Amino acid sequence: MKYAFFPGCVLEGASKENYIATTAVAKVLGIELVEIPGWTCCGASHLQDIDDLTSTAVNARNIALAEQMELPLLTVCNTCTLMLRKAKAKLDDGQKDKVNTLLTKAGIEYKGTSEITHLLWAIVRDYGLENLKGKVKRPLTGLTVAAYYGCHILRPPAVMNFEDHANPESLENVIRALGAEPVDFAYKLKCCGFHSTYTANEDMINITGATCQSAVQAGADCIVTPCPLCQMSLDMNQPEGQAAVGCSKEMPVLHLAQLIGLALGLKPEELALDMHIAGINQLKIKVS
Amino acid sequence: MSQITYKVSRFDGEKSYTQEYSFDHQPGKTILWGLIKIKEELDPTLTFTAACRSAVCGACSVRVNGQAMLACETPLDDVIRRFGAVLTVEPLGNFTVIRDLVIDWAPKAERLADSRVWLIPKDEFSAETGCRQKAADFKKIDVQAGCILCGSCASECNKLSANNKDFLEPFTYAKVWKFVADTRDKADGERIKAILDKGLWKCLHCVECTTQCPKGLSPGDDIARLRQTSIKMGYRDNHGARHAFAFLKDIEDTGRLNEMKLSLRSDGIIGSMRKFPLALRLLRRGKLNPFHFPGKVKGHDQIKTILKAVRESEK
Repeated sequence: MKYAFFPGCVLEGASKENYIATTAVAKVLGIELVEIPGWTCCGASHLQDIDDLTSTAVNARNIALAEQMELPLLTVCNTCTLMLRKAKAKLDDGQKDKVNTLLTKAGIEYKGTSEITHLLWAIVRDYGLENLKGKVKRPLTGLTVAAYYGCHILRPPAVMNFEDHANPESLENVIRALGAEPVDFAYKLKCCGFHSTYTANEDMINITGATCQSAVQAGADCIVTPCPLCQMSLDMNQPEGQAAVGCSKEMPVLHLAQLIGLALGLKPEELALDMHIAGINQLKIKVS
Repeated sequence: MSQITYKVSRFDGEKSYTQEYSFDHQPGKTILWGLIKIKEELDPTLTFTAACRSAVCGACSVRVNGQAMLACETPLDDVIRRFGAVLTVEPLGNFTVIRDLVIDWAPKAERLADSRVWLIPKDEFSAETGCRQKAADFKKIDVQAGCILCGSCASECNKLSANNKDFLEPFTYAKVWKFVADTRDKADGERIKAILDKGLWKCLHCVECTTQCPKGLSPGDDIARLRQTSIKMGYRDNHGARHAFAFLKDIEDTGRLNEMKLSLRSDGIIGSMRKFPLALRLLRRGKLNPFHFPGKVKGHDQIKTILKAVRESEK
């Protein structure tokens, strides 16, 4: 299995630990991730607020770079996945020629030959849960995990369409394959508010608190999410979030790759768990 | 014949409770069929609204297993396939409940009216000559004109759930966009100015409105269109617009995001300083590196060329 890897900006910045964990896990699983040379920011669900065509053209270039590698494009970020898939949907639905007249000036062409997938989907659909189970060295028996999907891996369903947006199960199935136990919680399909950090900050803080509190009440040892932006929001804002809702128990929030890595037998330091803010020591004791 | 159970959220004006109704499943029926069956055969006190039974009036929208849907057009077989034979039926979210599944539209209608969602015709029109437009111009607002005010988009809106004081129901933004885009309307400037003060940049981007709409509208995209128009009109000095431009600037300058600059550009120096405890927290964990300046990506000249070509094509 080989993919053109689109890490996204946060994996170079505040979510470095996800880069470390993703590449480490891919190595153990034998998934080859070849980073796309020259990828750029996807626009992070903000670029279209200035101009639709700019957003589509920038991502058409990103996709075209993966096409030159003759590989499917893989991301580990929900919002990158959405932005790239949204651009692809527009290109394949009539905008290809128009956008290619712009790309041609830069010597690039969008063809439409590379699919856009996410690590979660690749694990479930391409790698297979049975194969994943076969690689588990340290089953996460007794660990209760709240599966937090994040908006942009599910919605809008017309663009994302991997599974039922209202009733997804891919993340829970991965959790089970790793030997852990998924717990249902009220905020499973809710929004973390990350994209409104600067415009609705108080709402984002309240949402962070309520989400983590909901996972605590459901008896979860940790939250796991396939989106580094959700992870960042729920983790780094947790002190303020806890204060907002009056919850004193910290809730560790893991990247999908980190949870998989723990079950594969990787050490917490190989997955950069110490870069998280909330409750990582309690989690390390639980999984040790 | 298999059984189906509706677990209905009930409210009698004072107390809330859940009541279960089980009945024989019949293939090819709708959610509304089940509600009518309960009222006619099991419990005449169950209260809900429905009228046209043709997905036109918008009165019967309810929440089934956490998802807003029109009871009259949603096949029961589909929801059973998705969620099983025990269904949770609730009134729409983010509305005040009057009784059982009946919600109060009055405050929402007031908020809608505050945004003047009616045609303010250009001076060239008159009562005598009418207010006609070309088919191609109507086509531009055809989708938004299809809103039936069922409330489904508002029900699952994460921003309204967090705080509805500084944000409107998604259908309102869709309707405001409809009139801004309507070639017969003369009040674009006033509309944009007003909607900027009514939460235009506060949408959380959760995409629930687009997902829940039974008529194919995408209020989230209409919010983006209103934002684009506001920027074209010069309203750039606000958190939302500055944040969006911070991404564009980094894409143009290097190709990738610089988180330190993003904060400064979006929040200003004083705003960024207020987030000092957060920044310190991230620094201590090695998540923030103030000395990280991403260099230009390979093929950065391509980006410059593409962005220039986009601008020229839109002149």
